Amino acid sequence: MSTQQAAPTSTDMPAPAPGPVSRRPSWLSTGHLLSKYALIGVWALLALGFAVKMPDTFATTSTFQAIFGSQSALLILALAALATLVAGEFDLSFASTMGLAATILPVLATLHGVATWLSCLIALGGALLCGAINAFFVVVLDVPSLVVTLGSASFFLGLSELIGGSTSVAISDPKLTNLVVHRFFGLPLSFYYGVALALVFAYVLTWMPLGRHIAFVGANRDVARLAGINVAAIRAGSYMVAALIAGLAGIVIDASIGGFDPVGGSVYLLPSIAAVFLGTAVVHPGQFNPIGTLIGIYFLSTGVMGLQLLGYNGWVQNAFYGGGLVVAVSIAAIVRRRVGVG
Amino acid sequence: MTLAHPRLELRGICKTFGPNRVLSGVDLVVGPGEIRGLAGQNGSGKSTLIKILTGVYTPDSGARILVDGAELNTPVRWPAARAAGISVVHQDLGLLDHLTVAENICVGGFPTTILGRIDRRERDRISLSTLARLGVDLDPGTYVSELSAAERAEVAIARALRDHAPGHGLMILDESTRALRGSDLDRIHAMLRRLVEGGSSVIMISHSLRELASLSDHITVLRDGRVVADLDATAGIAEHEIARAMLGDAVASFDRVAQQKAEERPRVVVEGLVGRHAHDVSFTIDPGEILGITGAPGSGFEEIPALVAGGVRPKAGTLHVEDKPVDLSRFNVPQAMRSGIMLVPERRDRDGLALEMTVQDNITLPRLKRLRRPLFLSTGWRTAEGRRAIAEHDIRPTNPHALVRQLSGGNQQKVLLAKWMSMQPRLLVLHEPTQAVDVGARRDILEKIVGIAAEGTSVLVVSSEADDLIAVCDRVLIYQPEGSLAVGDTSDVNTLLEQVFMTPRPQMTGQ
Repeated sequence: MSTQQAAPTSTDMPAPAPGPVSRRPSWLSTGHLLSKYALIGVWALLALGFAVKMPDTFATTSTFQAIFGSQSALLILALAALATLVAGEFDLSFASTMGLAATILPVLATLHGVATWLSCLIALGGALLCGAINAFFVVVLDVPSLVVTLGSASFFLGLSELIGGSTSVAISDPKLTNLVVHRFFGLPLSFYYGVALALVFAYVLTWMPLGRHIAFVGANRDVARLAGINVAAIRAGSYMVAALIAGLAGIVIDASIGGFDPVGGSVYLLPSIAAVFLGTAVVHPGQFNPIGTLIGIYFLSTGVMGLQLLGYNGWVQNAFYGGGLVVAVSIAAIVRRRVGVG
Repeated sequence: MTLAHPRLELRGICKTFGPNRVLSGVDLVVGPGEIRGLAGQNGSGKSTLIKILTGVYTPDSGARILVDGAELNTPVRWPAARAAGISVVHQDLGLLDHLTVAENICVGGFPTTILGRIDRRERDRISLSTLARLGVDLDPGTYVSELSAAERAEVAIARALRDHAPGHGLMILDESTRALRGSDLDRIHAMLRRLVEGGSSVIMISHSLRELASLSDHITVLRDGRVVADLDATAGIAEHEIARAMLGDAVASFDRVAQQKAEERPRVVVEGLVGRHAHDVSFTIDPGEILGITGAPGSGFEEIPALVAGGVRPKAGTLHVEDKPVDLSRFNVPQAMRSGIMLVPERRDRDGLALEMTVQDNITLPRLKRLRRPLFLSTGWRTAEGRRAIAEHDIRPTNPHALVRQLSGGNQQKVLLAKWMSMQPRLLVLHEPTQAVDVGARRDILEKIVGIAAEGTSVLVVSSEADDLIAVCDRVLIYQPEGSLAVGDTSDVNTLLEQVFMTPRPQMTGQ
């Protein structure tokens, strides 16, 4: 039937490609290791650069302590952000949730004389409720998470102002403070809490069925559902866990700085998201992962600290975090494309 | 023995979305040890049927679903269907590259230790034994990113098989084999055959008629939400017979008087077009001529419309539509529109129309830039244009403010035609213009196509609907994978279909 056989094809075309042969480079190749740990190298170079430039101010124990000791609340908060992102969800309200918890605690403990432990529990309960509200709108009513959490972020901020009034309330319970800022090998306990929480995250995500199910939900809800995973429960759970951890970060902040300004939560939003995305460039390239988040936090912290010591003040923090976020997301996108996730 | 309890029995499945009836009383019976092919054009209702079975959609009342003789409640709760032995191999296989073979197989059913941690030894054992049931030898610790295309398919099938008792269960392959070619495909087919010989059942959805013909025991053909044929393929079946069943009732030929009226407009010439699969495609269309291009599904002819109209950038190719030739590899949509080339795409819901906007918004969209007063959009003008198009194209409902989403498939297609015809194209490219359109609207659309050509426009219809091509086209060319276009015999449908499926397809065959 094919009367018009294309005579020159065999000479013109160097044999039609027999379909893509999808042999990707091994996970242990040099290129892969490089992409896996490149950020750590950049971090080391950054620190080295600052140390060479400012041997008297940057390369000191106190700077080291400031970098690793002052970011605990931010690390915990970043893990809250991670909790939603790994499940393919997006939460913009976790910083406000943290602010709300950080406001509830001193208001109850200082102004109303409630026992500190009970105030902490109530603050965490309030945070959990925030997560439940997000989960209800996003998962049950199926409203886009960007809209819901942008709105709830502002709503929770308003609640904080309502509860705390316009001024910051102080809290001074030596027991609580001690539990958080007591120094151990030169670093406050809160640092170890943050690292421990990151390790718990890593354990759950890597070694427990729940973690693997979360990965599937985050990658493709339909596939996850057909594999028998309760997708709605995991999605809702991610918002609740994120809120609970954000509440925890609020308590750590209260204990570290002795109080909280009810409107102060929003400045924590961008750095924590930046750290989570920066973390996708390490350890498991293209994947949200807690160890990457941990590294991301201290990478950003090192950068800001160094720039501040160089004399750039005020604006540099915002600029560095913002720039860091965009660069991190771009790197993550490129890595993702190269590794071929999905 | 098999008659007592079919593996799966679907009775009276109907589904309505707004004004669109997408399934009307579908019955489907799959026996134990059977591979059932499910064929139909896009929009024929295949995917809706599967989505009802997997609990995504709620069927209209009256539907019954039985698995091994036991009633499954509707709407289907997926955990219940899973427990009854139904599993799905996802379209894109649904594997995570950064996880291992064992993790991908065991997802949704990880064995755990007392501490709640994944029991790795048990997980690997389950994976190995499931793979062994398929006759596959793979290290469960390998990362999926390192696997070949066939191995990936094997892992995805192993996941679907994991919870099935030997000789039981129904596995649905939803276009899951589309990434496979040649010997890889043969390997997966042989594996599926072995699987059903043990008594398991498979529902196979595929656009490749060759695959359906060679693998299935029976083929159910859907069209416009109805079962139009139940073909016995145990003794083999010709692809064109399936294709014939997928087509609807023949539409009578149209009178063509336009040819002579075509004045001095230049003819459209496409030369040496090279896309991802399409090689070296060349053709010419006279003013007022309707040229049809068809081919076997998956051969690459589907790429041609987007390549010609600037939607997808070809690797090479030249187009003469005005005086000077245009290099298609540097072509884009705005340039195509300036040259008067308009594309009515195949996926009108995704590529052609803004479903959440009104009829008048959609119709006037491409002309907004040409308006004299770009700062003040005249609502009156848009409504008038909307009404004019509705009257001219017989669009229902007649409300220009109706959302396109609320229209039936046929009326959506008319809106799309109206949108581009208002631009007075030189070359109108139509991709599967009658797909998922009911019979009445189909005739209207074909009539419109003839009318457009009568005004001197060159029309390119790229379609797998042999009937439509014969009804409206002056010439039909059959795309062959090596790149040449054979002249199709338009005297009758069966001859044309045979021609289409007789053309050799090297990348789809065994070796």
